[in-house]
Amino acid sequence: MNTAAIKNPSWFKKIGLTLLLLTHVFAFSLVTSNADAHDATKIPRLANGKPDFSGIWQTTSAADYDLEPHSNRKDAPPGPGIVEGGEIPYLPKALEQRKKNFENRATDDPALKGFTLGVPRGIYYPEPFQIFQRARDLNIVHQFGHSVRTIHTNNTEHPEDPNDWWLGDSRGKWEGDTLVVDVKHFNDKTWLDRSGNFHSDALQVVERWKFLDPNTIEYKATLTDAQVFSKPWNISVILHRHREKNFQLIEDYRYTLDYDQYYPPKPDKK
Amino acid sequence: MKNNVSHHKLKLSIKNLLILAVATAPMMAISADEAKTKEVKPQPQAVVAQPAAAEGPSYRNETSFPKIASGKWTGKKLADGQPDISGHWSNTIANHNNFTDPQGGIPNDPAPRRTPLGKREDRAPSRVSDPADGQVPFQPWALEEVKKFQVGFHNPTEPKYVEPLARCAPGGVPKSFYWHGYEIAQYPGYVVFFFNNGTRIIHLDNKPHLPEKIKLWNADSRGHWEGNTLVVDVKNHNGKALFGRSGEFISENGTIQEKYIFSNDGKRYNYEAVFTDPTVYTRPFTVTIPARLWTYEDKPNGWHFEARLATHAGKEPIVEREERICTENNGGFGIGAARPK
Repeated sequence: MNTAAIKNPSWFKKIGLTLLLLTHVFAFSLVTSNADAHDATKIPRLANGKPDFSGIWQTTSAADYDLEPHSNRKDAPPGPGIVEGGEIPYLPKALEQRKKNFENRATDDPALKGFTLGVPRGIYYPEPFQIFQRARDLNIVHQFGHSVRTIHTNNTEHPEDPNDWWLGDSRGKWEGDTLVVDVKHFNDKTWLDRSGNFHSDALQVVERWKFLDPNTIEYKATLTDAQVFSKPWNISVILHRHREKNFQLIEDYRYTLDYDQYYPPKPDKK
Repeated sequence: MKNNVSHHKLKLSIKNLLILAVATAPMMAISADEAKTKEVKPQPQAVVAQPAAAEGPSYRNETSFPKIASGKWTGKKLADGQPDISGHWSNTIANHNNFTDPQGGIPNDPAPRRTPLGKREDRAPSRVSDPADGQVPFQPWALEEVKKFQVGFHNPTEPKYVEPLARCAPGGVPKSFYWHGYEIAQYPGYVVFFFNNGTRIIHLDNKPHLPEKIKLWNADSRGHWEGNTLVVDVKNHNGKALFGRSGEFISENGTIQEKYIFSNDGKRYNYEAVFTDPTVYTRPFTVTIPARLWTYEDKPNGWHFEARLATHAGKEPIVEREERICTENNGGFGIGAARPK
């Protein structure tokens, strides 16, 4: 076209037209990319380009009542469970313990005592948690107990032979837009739900965090524990962003409730 | 299996509360002259067991500290415009043994001091910087309660004489600022304090305070930056945390106006806050608490700088904190302590 234009005496006219056309095409593409930026499917990102999970999140699932499929019962709504394949592959001895836990769940569930929920239970427990994210880490503040879990994303490794922790030691790395977190060095004092599913201090959890859209996270986890399970098993829940106006965490240090009454001194109780 | 802290399994009964309180009070008294302590009985809180030489600069027991003026911030800024003051911090004078005579030991402490107390003017000033006498301007009924606490603390005959931190309650405002070191982290719209015991989220986005009926250990905080100063409005305080082993307190009707004034080299800040509470005080008063930054150049210690260097392939030192969950939150005194049989 350019060659033809040069041969033609009125080539500059045609060049002008071409430029005009090109300008239109360019302008149109600008409009398109601009529309993209406001597209609801575009996920938030940190300055370093990694997905930014900052925000307050909560599941609507009934996972915490029982991870496995269950009919309704007095203390739980019915639920399809969130275990891939339906059932947790307990070792025979561990299954006995799980049954005992279930029978005693009204008193033995550590969450009833205000204990730290652990991983992954804190994620699908029905109270909100807030993610504070920087390039180097994500700090998860759970409303329940206000416990804090740090997921390190700065290429650091698990410490060698450390203590056991309530929330384990979390080291994350990015696989594309998925945050993959390896969590281990747990204690054995937390349960996985209020129906008595449990683990030992040999638990290892590998989590996969991924945006489905800017306000929804797909959370998957693989649980391995050779002392309790015959093989690794998987769970999956959806987390929703709290978008209510002025929504915030309200600290829930509920383990203080039994002695709250003694403080502070009151003028009418001399 | 290893545990980082001992796991108490006590039934929640007054008797056991008292046993523990009695058992821990003398141990805690050891930390009365914390900086001078060389020999330490095993107990999980408050005492640095390392010799002074291993602790880096001796900021931990300053008897005086510089005034920092509010003004422009000329230091590093974060992408969102906040002064970059993220890092590990700790107060520089003493712990929560004594609010108004920070290095004076626990009031009425029956344990003999290892070193003489010396003259008042040789110790750090009261955390009450106004009024000039350094005392909290309590109403008579409240002063009476404080005095009773200062006696009851050493031999608690009622649950209210157990300092709430001994039950692993959050440190609250202002005690958290002189209870172990802590991390300050910053995010667009937030300054977050990760304390040894409890977390405080300062909202910078002008959203309204929580409804008045909601009362919290760490209160509800709304802040903004004015140059080098973080200004924070504190409401919804439940007043339960007390200010220390000397028993001073605020009620749930109190409000606090805080200023965190940072030096432009980013190495120190002074906390200056006005406490107002018509239920408890005769007038507003000002609390001043000095703090300093700790970095990888400082050796970690078990009180001011509870951190370690991360394991990684690179060469730069990366400081990280371990999980801070008070064991007693998860047993003994918590809700579950009364387990029905």
